[in-house]
Amino acid sequence: MKITGYRVEQYLMKMDRLVGDANLPSGVEMLPGSILYLETDENVTGISLGYGGGIEALFGAIEGADPREVVALWIRMNDWLHKAGNEGAASASLSAIDVALWDIKAKLADEPLWRTLGAREGRVRAYASGLDYCLSDEELFAFYRRMAEQGIDTGKLKVGLDLAADLRRLGIMREALSIASQRPGLMIDANEYWSPKQAVRYVRQLEEHFELIWVEEPARRWDYHGLRLVSQQVKAAVASGENLHNLAQVYPLIANRAVDVINVWTGQSGVTGLRQIAHMAHVHGLPVSMMNAQANYMAHIAAALPNHNMMEVVDPGREHCLKWNNHVEDGFIVLGDAPGFGIEVDEARLKQLQANPPTGRGKFPFPRREGAGRYIVPPAPGEVPWR
Amino acid sequence: MKVTGVKVTSYACPPGGRAAAGMHANRGCVVELLTDSGLTGIAIGADGAHAQIERLVGELLVGADPRATSGLWQQMTDAQAARQNEGFASTTIAMLDGALWDLKAKANDEPLWKTLGGSRPRANAHGGGIAPTATDYELADRCRMLSRDYGLRGAKLVIGGDEDRDLARLEAMRTALRQGTAVPTLIVDAEQRWAPEEAIRRLRAMERQFDVAWVEGATRSGDIPGLKQISDAIRGAVCIGRDLGTRGEFLPHFDQRSADVIQLDIGAVGITGALELADAAYGFELPVTLAEAPGNIHAHLASVMPYFMSMEVGYPATRWPVFTSDVRIEAGWAIAGDAPGNGLTVDREALKRAATRGGS
Repeated sequence: MKITGYRVEQYLMKMDRLVGDANLPSGVEMLPGSILYLETDENVTGISLGYGGGIEALFGAIEGADPREVVALWIRMNDWLHKAGNEGAASASLSAIDVALWDIKAKLADEPLWRTLGAREGRVRAYASGLDYCLSDEELFAFYRRMAEQGIDTGKLKVGLDLAADLRRLGIMREALSIASQRPGLMIDANEYWSPKQAVRYVRQLEEHFELIWVEEPARRWDYHGLRLVSQQVKAAVASGENLHNLAQVYPLIANRAVDVINVWTGQSGVTGLRQIAHMAHVHGLPVSMMNAQANYMAHIAAALPNHNMMEVVDPGREHCLKWNNHVEDGFIVLGDAPGFGIEVDEARLKQLQANPPTGRGKFPFPRREGAGRYIVPPAPGEVPWR
Repeated sequence: MKVTGVKVTSYACPPGGRAAAGMHANRGCVVELLTDSGLTGIAIGADGAHAQIERLVGELLVGADPRATSGLWQQMTDAQAARQNEGFASTTIAMLDGALWDLKAKANDEPLWKTLGGSRPRANAHGGGIAPTATDYELADRCRMLSRDYGLRGAKLVIGGDEDRDLARLEAMRTALRQGTAVPTLIVDAEQRWAPEEAIRRLRAMERQFDVAWVEGATRSGDIPGLKQISDAIRGAVCIGRDLGTRGEFLPHFDQRSADVIQLDIGAVGITGALELADAAYGFELPVTLAEAPGNIHAHLASVMPYFMSMEVGYPATRWPVFTSDVRIEAGWAIAGDAPGNGLTVDREALKRAATRGGS
């Protein structure tokens, strides 16, 4: 059993709708996609979704190796990155390869990855996330109501620019979710738009009207003083971590008690790397929350984490050329028994997308908004230019 | 695949024989977890937890798919949390977790190291604790054999009694190990005999003559400030962990930097717990050492621990009273074999002869 080769297919998707946060409230609808196929000599191919190129620099570390030895291969790849560091494009490549290796490992055992990882059941509690700063009030209600109809009783709203609007929108989200629970869970996400004290002022005012479970990224990702300050001064928990890429970067947040919830995903050095983060968090009594993913594939990993609370579910439509083996039911992502991540690529559809790339407004990811964390006098609409 | 039951057999070996290493040198317990697929999961550990093992299997494991190692670990530790005051809770869970991992690997028809995601393990090893009861002659002889038979280039000495005797024995150990290496790695274990100030005085005196890699049991393992004080005062590393059973017990050592080396033992924290703690130690940049274990099966875990440093092996390192192991020790390295599972095989005849309780 050997790794023999790889290929990367890149394509562009037009999502079903705009997605936006405080950094770009008007939103974007274009999303680049990438699929890594890791090939073996036994007709089993590992698939990894959502990353860019740069695989060739690391492929030498795993070529000819047995893919089932994925954790040791992670250590080897990490060692290969000794001088440059597990950062940037190299980190994304390490992440992508590790995900594909785990897919192979589970496929070889002919079992879904959640079982390979030791979960008792392929079932993960979900929360709804609207990526919704660009939605009208009606669209906002419709999104969370659709989610509530699937039993999801907790939502996460993009906030940060306009207190009055955010208070109104939180009410809309709560109302929409109220068919799923008498006490819907409410969360907010500022995507690092604030400085720590701005965050405290803003969240404290929201908390005069709403009880919030967590506030996500209220300060910069590395600012353990600022994040801790927010955590201590608001009632809500502070969540962060999605823009950090390995355990070493998360370490100061954990060691300094800066966050109460750690957002995890495969971009944190793959399944192996995010599991390291979850394990360290668990030893400290901290829960982790899985990020949204194309076709919810990361739910396999979440199912096996001892300290996982709930996984983010979104619905802008990013599964154009994918077939998958899970669904949302009664507020849970329910994973099937298909081997590995249970993801298949519709190759014909992929070729169509590559031959005729769709066009649309903006492109993910978008930059940080001018003045974020600094402009204490909020810019009026239109004053901060965007492209 | 489902767990159908468990067979627990205690054994004791005649004086002079050697049983499971670690907590109980001549007594032990064989756990055989039975399944509807015909596969049996094996774990060897400390004796004394018959009732707890049988109850936990009956309550939580019968009917469960043994491949759910992480989920079942969680269930077992949650159940333990409600029974904090019952003895053997940690070792019971640890042994059952070990048996579940054995089944998971056997279900894949692959060795445990591969199921864990490891590459062919080649774990750096050192010789296990040489007891104070060993005569000076036995000590020197043991070290020569560790070096000659297994190529081990480091060893651990239990100290803490008479100061001059400790120094003389450390010298004897170093001399014996020098037949295989110019720079033997010296490890000491004071078995938590000392108060911090005494530990500092004794260890500093020792360090005037010897380069000590680390000290285990420098003071009581619950004395976080004391251990930190010792670590700050000596050149060698302070090592803790062998007698800790839960992540809550490890946490203050990570947080307060009261240890420089973390020692894990799957007999105390299980395989699932050991993997979790090894990842946490990695986050804190703390190296991990693995304690002496029955059959040296820690060799399976070494290559999936990012900061694995060295594992301890006893002497004789490859002969066991009621079971065999396919881990071999060569040229200073522990190397796990390719047999499916953890490589432990119960010697039925020997177990029957040594059984003191259970078995059939």
